Amino acid sequence: MVLLFPLFLPLAGALLVFLCRNPRVVVRVALTAGTLELAAIGIAVYSIHSWGVLQVGRYLCADGLTSFFLISLGLISALVLVYSSGYLRHVPEGRFSSLRWFYGLVFLFLFTMVAVYLSANLGMMWIFVEATTLASALLVGFYNTEGAVEAGWKYLIVCTVGIAFALFGTIAFYLAAVKGGVSPQSALDWGTLMAAAPGLVGGRELLKLAFVFVAVGYGTKVGFVPMHSWLPDAHAEAPSPISALLSAVLLNCAMYALLRFDAITSRAIGSGFSHTLLLIFGGVSLAVASLLMIVQRDLKRLLAYSSIEHMGIVAIGIGLGGTLGLLGALLHTFNHSIAKTLLFFTAGNVRENFGTLRMERIRGMALSLPWAGGALIVGGLAITGMPPFGLFVSELVILTAAFSTAHYFIAVLMLAAISVVFGALLHHFQHMLMGKSDDVPAQPALQASWLVVMGVCALCLVVLGVHIPAAFKAVLRGAMAVLQP
Amino acid sequence: MGLFETAAAKALASSGVFLFMTVLLIAAAKRISTCIALFSVQSLIITAQIIAVSRMHHSTEGFVIAGLVLSVKVIAIPYVLYRIVEELKAPRDVSSSTSSSQSVFIAAGLILLSFFAVRPYVGVLGGDQAMLAAAVALVLTGGFLMVSRKKALMQVVGLLVLDNGIFLAALTTTFGMPLVIEIGIVFDLLMGVFLMGLFVFRIRDTFDHLDVSKLRRLRG
Amino acid sequence: MTLMTNVLQVLLLILLAPLVRGVISRIKARIQNRRGASVWRPYADVLKLFRKQDLVPASASFVFRLAPMVVFTTTLVVAAFVPLLHGLALLGVTGDFVLLVYLLALGRFFLMLGAMDGGSSFGGMGASREALVSTLAEAPFLLALMSVAIAAHTASIAGMVQWTMGQNFFQFSAVHALAFAALVLVAIAETGRIPVDNPTTHLELTMIHEAMVLEYSGPSLALIEWASAIKLTVVMALLIALFVPWGMASSVSALALGVASLVMLLKIAALVLALALVECSVAKLRMYLVPDFLGVASALAILAVVFTALMR
Repeated sequence: MVLLFPLFLPLAGALLVFLCRNPRVVVRVALTAGTLELAAIGIAVYSIHSWGVLQVGRYLCADGLTSFFLISLGLISALVLVYSSGYLRHVPEGRFSSLRWFYGLVFLFLFTMVAVYLSANLGMMWIFVEATTLASALLVGFYNTEGAVEAGWKYLIVCTVGIAFALFGTIAFYLAAVKGGVSPQSALDWGTLMAAAPGLVGGRELLKLAFVFVAVGYGTKVGFVPMHSWLPDAHAEAPSPISALLSAVLLNCAMYALLRFDAITSRAIGSGFSHTLLLIFGGVSLAVASLLMIVQRDLKRLLAYSSIEHMGIVAIGIGLGGTLGLLGALLHTFNHSIAKTLLFFTAGNVRENFGTLRMERIRGMALSLPWAGGALIVGGLAITGMPPFGLFVSELVILTAAFSTAHYFIAVLMLAAISVVFGALLHHFQHMLMGKSDDVPAQPALQASWLVVMGVCALCLVVLGVHIPAAFKAVLRGAMAVLQP
Repeated sequence: MGLFETAAAKALASSGVFLFMTVLLIAAAKRISTCIALFSVQSLIITAQIIAVSRMHHSTEGFVIAGLVLSVKVIAIPYVLYRIVEELKAPRDVSSSTSSSQSVFIAAGLILLSFFAVRPYVGVLGGDQAMLAAAVALVLTGGFLMVSRKKALMQVVGLLVLDNGIFLAALTTTFGMPLVIEIGIVFDLLMGVFLMGLFVFRIRDTFDHLDVSKLRRLRG
Repeated sequence: MTLMTNVLQVLLLILLAPLVRGVISRIKARIQNRRGASVWRPYADVLKLFRKQDLVPASASFVFRLAPMVVFTTTLVVAAFVPLLHGLALLGVTGDFVLLVYLLALGRFFLMLGAMDGGSSFGGMGASREALVSTLAEAPFLLALMSVAIAAHTASIAGMVQWTMGQNFFQFSAVHALAFAALVLVAIAETGRIPVDNPTTHLELTMIHEAMVLEYSGPSLALIEWASAIKLTVVMALLIALFVPWGMASSVSALALGVASLVMLLKIAALVLALALVECSVAKLRMYLVPDFLGVASALAILAVVFTALMR
């Protein structure tokens, strides 16, 4: 019961929003549903914490890992809803672009992502990962401009093809499980598979093949480098709140799927194969994305490449494995989500005021837009892993893991990439902050709700950087317990 | 076993050949509607295989899946795509970057490649080598169609062919997954095609053409 | 008795060929909502031409007179290699499928020579186009036949037919499917049908065969026309014999032969109908797209040969 609420609330929210005609009512319904969803997730997380694994029927299940990812989903989606209420005042005319469609699709998107987290069955999880693409493609193309339509098309096609490979991998896992003696009806249940994993050694070759396909498939959705082509376009062309959702929630969602498969594979045939693959994907993504960040000219594309870079770091954390590596990776997904949300909100603010996202045309933010400028500084410092922000801690943990497991090459690569990113962001941001703007925005628009959401983000980052609260520690412990039984 | 069963079993055992033929024909086809019809035929062959397999294994679930595939992949999706082609009122050639003979050569090469690719796995996965090779060949040619054809609709057709390949792989190796999962997968596909159709219209409205190779505003 | 059947086969092919042509054009006329000429019209044409005077251009040499006879003779010999009613042919030697391809090529070579010898510019143009098409068609033709030969472990056409008759009707072999597809494309090019060539056009931009025979008249033209009708029927019979020979007589008795000829008639009728339908629904290819068309045939034929190794 506790699980059904967070799952079906967004669906009900979507239905309600589609039924409303008045834009004001739509916003109110959306905010209410968002608040209720946050509460429902809170309750679900608390009950998972107190009762352990929750199972509803054959196909729904929640454990510590689920609850950890649900927290970031709930937090970010609530922030995004609040931010959108102030952001979407001028909706462009066109098919599928109205306030109703926006909120309706956002809630459908949330529904599919919650469903991914709550799926007990790997096949079910695949279905909902694919559904996330379908639900969000129209949101990416929301503005109906040439760029937006192109980005939406690319997103739809590239991710659908990628996900098709993940289906192939899932089928191969199923086959390996059935050959390993698991009954066909439960051979896709994660819990059953995890328990039966040590008995699957016989299907070593098949599991390797399966994991390659899963890594390529879900890796497309995560944005690993050879398959990342959709990511910068989708992030740059979507409305800013949607960019935040994509970067801070969707990428985690795909990473979560990969994490589940990695756990089974490592338990069945040893961690060598899958972890090496993740290290390669992570390392390449990190290196390429950090270099590409230097040459970006669009603020949101810059942030999108930064997402690829951070997903690379998370993959490295998972690939290093062990308590430290996993802990760092999990913590990093959370920290990155919050920092990236803050930055995309700031980007939305910049766009509202300057009417452009081309960085060479934005000057003097520190003077003309002090609050947004401040947010940019905080976000920029946080995303480059400066103390006292959360990302410093998680990157440090992953680096420690790299050194303690003697992965010196990876450690050096990470340090180099982080320095490059720091230089690139410093270069871009100082250009935007300093100097005098040629066309000073007439009236710097600033809304109370924006200050609140950005404040919440900054606060979270600082708190996680200074001291991890006990409750959060407990959730993290629960998540680690699932992955390392 | 009666004469009919023998005939059906023999025909199905070699139905991989028909799949190869559809792949080659799609590669050679010059009009989008021909490709759509060929995709429909391809799905029909796969439906026949599902029915045969579920008869052999005496599973009722198989018949449900067969009905689902028949209604969605053989009828609904081709119908939707036909309607889109009709309503677009745009030129109907596939505008390929390779000529038909080159495409057929490449598709032929991919078929051979898939035979060699599945050889090491035939022992592990079980199942018929020709069928498994057909599955891989469908995946590869689907990918090739998506890369070489410039029309947005042809990319959808390529994707569908690719998806048929994965479906066939699942069928030949596992005799189908649990029913709920299969239904979800097919439903996802149907929604995906609807959504892509919607985007095709939007591309036409925003760009005045359907040539995906000219969409290059977003780079780097 | 066997010898008589073999001779009968060749005679049937030769004598029925104009009828096949007539039926095709009649069906096409019906599809296009015309009444069309009688199906016996090609016979009347040939008879009429034989009674006319044979005009030879002043600049022409003996090759011009010789060519129609060579064309007709080679076609006759080719007809003797193809089994029609049972699994044997009048002539049959090991490796005769190569001979068949090259006899057809020889006939075409002389036709081209004759066309150029006529001295008109259309003749030269048609000859050069014919040379292009036949060069490109030769490789897939040989390869497709070879793949069947490899699958059947025999190099004679009659042997291949007998081997195929022994196979299960429902066991489709990839080799045969691919070779069949390739041969159909080659046959269209070889017999000059739409979409490669249009046998009824006299449009200078598109005609191939008609351009070559433009200077011929009288008995020479009759021989050429009859030969091309025989060629069409022979190629059809070859396709049927190699890929759907089931129904042919396995013993030489009156009853078996009667059934076999009925079945053969039905198969040819089906093929004729298919050809007419295709010709009515497909537009003729532009000349520079013909290499592409035959390229598809080559790809299929090569794949067929490779599959003989894979399907072992």
